[in-house]
Parts: sequence; C-alpha cells; structure tokens
Amino acid sequence: MQLKTLLLAGVLSGVAFAAQAQTTLTFINCGGKDDPTAPVQAKHIAEWEKANPTFRVAEEYLPWGQCQERATTLAGARNAPALAYMGSRTVRMLGAADMIVPVSLSDEEKASYEQSVLATVSFDGKEWGLPRAFSTKALYWNKDLFAKAGLPTDKGPQTFEEVLAAAKAIKEKTGAAGFGIPAASFDNTMHEFLNWLYSNGGSVVDAEGKVTFDSKENVEALEFYGELAKYAQPGPVAYDRAKLEPLFAEGAIAMYTNGGWGRARAGNVNYGLEMIPAGPSGKKSTLLITDSIVVFKGTGVEEAALDLAKYLTTPERQFEIDVAGGWTPIRNVAGVKDIVAKDPSWTVFIDAIPTGGPEPLMVDYIAMQDAMNEAIQSVVTGDVAAKDAVKKAAEALADLNN
Amino acid sequence: MTRRRDLFPYLLLLPALALTLAIVAWPLAETFRLSFTDASMKPVTTYVGFANYAKIFRSGFEEIIGRTLLWASLSVSLKILLGLLVAVLLNAAVPGRALFRILVMPPWIVPIAIGVFMWSWMYNGQFGMISGLLQRFGLISEPFEFMAYGTSSFIATVVTDVWIGVPLVSLYFLAAMQGISKELYEAAWVDGASRLYRFRRVTLPLLLPSIATMALLSAIWTFNSFDIIWILTEGGPRGATTTMIIDTYKTAISRFRYGEGAARAVLILLFLSAFTSVYVYLLLRLTRKGGTHD
Repeated sequence: MQLKTLLLAGVLSGVAFAAQAQTTLTFINCGGKDDPTAPVQAKHIAEWEKANPTFRVAEEYLPWGQCQERATTLAGARNAPALAYMGSRTVRMLGAADMIVPVSLSDEEKASYEQSVLATVSFDGKEWGLPRAFSTKALYWNKDLFAKAGLPTDKGPQTFEEVLAAAKAIKEKTGAAGFGIPAASFDNTMHEFLNWLYSNGGSVVDAEGKVTFDSKENVEALEFYGELAKYAQPGPVAYDRAKLEPLFAEGAIAMYTNGGWGRARAGNVNYGLEMIPAGPSGKKSTLLITDSIVVFKGTGVEEAALDLAKYLTTPERQFEIDVAGGWTPIRNVAGVKDIVAKDPSWTVFIDAIPTGGPEPLMVDYIAMQDAMNEAIQSVVTGDVAAKDAVKKAAEALADLNN
Repeated sequence: MTRRRDLFPYLLLLPALALTLAIVAWPLAETFRLSFTDASMKPVTTYVGFANYAKIFRSGFEEIIGRTLLWASLSVSLKILLGLLVAVLLNAAVPGRALFRILVMPPWIVPIAIGVFMWSWMYNGQFGMISGLLQRFGLISEPFEFMAYGTSSFIATVVTDVWIGVPLVSLYFLAAMQGISKELYEAAWVDGASRLYRFRRVTLPLLLPSIATMALLSAIWTFNSFDIIWILTEGGPRGATTTMIIDTYKTAISRFRYGEGAARAVLILLFLSAFTSVYVYLLLRLTRKGGTHD
C-alpha cells in the first residue's frame, strides 16, 4: 500500500512538473470570447498546442477600446505579452519604438496576400505583423424606407449627390434619419470618413509620407459630410459605428456604411448593398483596413510566438476565421469564389479591394486620429467650415511629421 | 544603553518610512524626473529641460485649467448645497427617518462604473429616459443626444458627479449635526427663535468647520475625478469635458508621451498644493473666528 502511494505521488509530481515546465504565451485579443471568431481561433490554438506540448497559450480578451492600449502599456513597462491583436496603424509606432519583431515572409507567402493588404503592415522594407482581419466597407441602404420616400429601389445611390438627395427625401418624408454618421471621438469616425475621402480622390499622405490633407478633394468630401449631417441621426458626435448598427436594424436610419459583418446585424431590414458612392472628383473606393497579429520583442518566446502567429494565419485557417467573422478574405484561396457564389452579397466587399486605399501610417497615430476627428466633428456640428477644418487638420498632421 | 533606547522609537518608524518612500516619495520623484525628459515608447530617453512645460502652455492648457476649475467648483458647490439640504432633511424628526437614511445611500454604494453606465443610458437620445420624457412632454421634437454637444456633455458629467458625491457629503454633515448639543437648540427655542433662525444661528456656525473640511476634501477628489468623465465622454466632444486629469491621461497613457504626461501631472500637483495651502490657511482663520463666535 505504501509503495502504491509512493508511486502515485511520484506520477502526480511528474505530471505537475511537466505542467510547470510548459512555457506560457500570453496572447491579447480584442473583442470578447463570444465573438464568432473566438471558438475558431481557440480550436486552432489547441491544435498548435498539441503540436508544441512545451507551450501553453493564455488568451486574454479585452474590449475594443482597451486592448491596444493595454498591450502597448504592458510592452512599455517591459512586461509585454508574447503576441497581440492590434490595429495595423499601430505597427509603425511599435516598430519605431523597437517593441515588436519583424515577420519574415517568403515570396510565396507574400503572393498569397492582396498587395494592398500587405502594405498596411509594411514599412522600412519589412513586414511588422501578420494581417488578421481585413475589412472593406459598403453602403447599406434600407429599401423599404427608400420606397416609402418615393425613391427608386432597384439600385442604391451611386454618387455623393444621390446620397444627399436620398437622405434629404427620407428625412422629410419618412420620419427616419436619412443617414447614420459616426462622429464620436473614436477611431472609426476617422475610418468612416476615409471611405468618402478616398471615393472623392482625396488622400492624407503621399507615398513618401508627406501630408497631402489640404486639398480640394478633401474639402469637397468634408463639405459633403457637413451637408449630410443635416439629414443624419440627431447628434452624430455621440455615435460610433457600433451604435449605428441597432439604429439601422430598427429602421431609424436609412443608410450607413459598414463592413461585411454588418449583414449579420441588420435584423429584419430589407436592405441593399452598394460600393461607397463616388464623389464629384473621384471614383468609388473604400478604406482598406487591417488588424494584425504582432509579436513583441524581449519576451524570450519570440520564436514560438512567431510560429503560432504564422500557424494561425495560414491561408486555410485565416479563411476559416474570415468566414466566421464576416471579414473580407485576406488571402487568395479557392474558397473565396465559393463564398461569393453561395452568398453574392460578398461581391461589393471583395470587388472594392482593388479600388481601395490603405489607412495612413504615422508614428503618432492617436494624434493623427485626433486631428482628423476634430476636423470631422467641427464640420458635422456646423461649428467650422470644411475649408478651415481641413486646413487646420493639415497643419496639425504636418506638425506630427516634423 | 540610553543611546540605544533613544534610537528605538525611530527604528519602529522605519517600516512605515520605507513604505512611504516606496509608494509616495519615489513615484513622485520619478514623475518630476520624467517631466524633464522626452520619455515615450522609444527605447532611448533624452533630457529636454523645460521643453515639456513650455509645450503644455503652447497647446492651450490654460483653457483646460479654466474648464477644470469651472467643473470642480460647480460640482463641489452643488454637492455641498444638496448634501446640506439632504442632511437637514434626514436630521428632522420624521417617521421612517432610518429608512430615508438608507435610501440616500445607493448612489454611493453602487460601483461607480455601473452608476455611470446607468447615467450614460439615461443621456442616450434614442433609448434614454431623459430625452424620452422631454419628448413625451412636448419639450423637444426629436431625440436629444446629451453627449453630442459641448455644453450638455459638460452639464451631464457634473450632474453625474454630484449624484455620486451627495450621499457621502450628506452623511458627513448629518454626523456633524448630531454632534451639536440639543441644549443649544432648546435654549434658542425658549428664546423664541424660529426654525430658520435656529438653523442660521446655531446649526450653520457650528457646522462651518465640517463644511470647510468636506469642501476641501471634495474639491481635491473632484479635481482629480477621472472615471466619471472618462466613462461618459472620454473628454469629448471636441474637448468640452477634458479636464486636467483627463488631458494628462490622454497624453501619457493613450498617446504614450510619458514625459509630457509627467509634466502635466507635476502641474496638477503644484496646483493642488497651492490650492490646499490657501484653503487650509483660510480654514484655520475661519475656525479661529468660529471659536470666538458669540
């Protein structure tokens, strides 16, 4: 009996020792564990852990408003997570601060990404993250409200002018707001505006990183936004994009822009999808925006973290995540054609990719966002003329580049 | 032996002194040091002299100081006035007084974040109670988003701060009121003093030191109040609710400009120290006057 007890204790100690010998990789994610992508990622991580038994991955989910700040603060305190899900706009700052490690990709791997997607994580000739979530945006429009306002319902607005005319008619004839504008002090205020800015041929920086914000095209786009605000939901400054989703689902706004995931959040609305309408000086376009998995430097587990990041983003696994999240597919895989055939509503999101422009990369991306949001908010509230707001923002952006 | 005995009390103080140095003095000294550097996410930090301080005043910080003073003074005044009123009512000999004393507590008991989220929903134009009631009574024709406009956001944050702060203030005043000798009231009553006169000539003068102390504490807490504004508005819209503490957080934590953030924190410290010194001086004078009250 004593021998058996001793043996059992020995086995238990061995198991405990083996468990202790595992190295933990902390992985900070944005969102919640109830997100549709979370179980898919958990499944992939479990597979990787099985193949790498000396490692254990500790996933931590934080709300969108806090996850990036949390990961960066931890890194600043020299207590970085092994890897984190970050907006790609942060990679330039993190790379410049020597906090993340570059990712080496073979030519074959690079070729499997859309070039514009890879551009969102590239600077100084290197890639600094693995794109994880990709979105293009489209115009969602409520066909029933259009019909009620006496507007055509065979296709949605194609130009800025048509958007304004439809928004005005809907506001005047149906009681619903013509358009949902997000203008809160949040990142998607800038992102949503960039869709319209790019669709009018505007830009924020050129290929050399020089600020090009003070342009006729940008003034036109912001003037359009100011005009559109007259027919938008009351108090756009109180709304970020997520708060517009329930308004669209309830028929309180007739139009708004959103990514592919908006289809699952539209409730019972009879809606149509169009590419972002074209401005007087441009063609239909969209903001190409990615979030990426970055690997932090100085954790001692960089190699394993890179291996995990690559494992999670292989074309097939990434495609599985894209489909679960309703994200625009990042990598060129055969399955893309299948999902379009099965669900044609994907078309506008995928067709928009070659027309789009990337999110501008600046080291102090928060200050860039603040400068642009200030311009948008001041025009949407009617406090400042578009021309003056653009000029002020351009000066602030140029200061950031100095 | 005597020398040893002399040192003993100081040895006993050592742990407390070490703790104070570790959690107060060292962070404070580090903040001062950082404020003279360009500390950020960059791996190398450089000494920049007073550049961070100069930059603060070039960025319109005076406006933020003014806003902070307005926000804090409005909020503290309302908390003191309403707290006093509630304390007087709770002190009145009415049936069910104990129940009223319990009912006044929830805003203080409920975790701040939950209380503020509740207000955030009430301020929502589409789904919120306040806008809904105003529409129902015909005072507004369409939903009003309180958080979309500078003035309404500013007022909303003050109202929420007052709602959370009043219970503590009123309980503090209530405790002070119950310490006032009943004989004084009886003597005033015998002399024919009315209820209002008794309040003015007995309650208020004897409460003055408590009012002054609570006002000072409340001013410091309110000045440094972060969570209420951050949850409701994050300092927006367009900076309308950005107080000194919010601006410091945004600079140091959101934008990772630790040096500039530290300079702002030092200014807040100096500001509060000066304010507290003046206040304590006035309080002492007031208390002395109160002591010779006839």
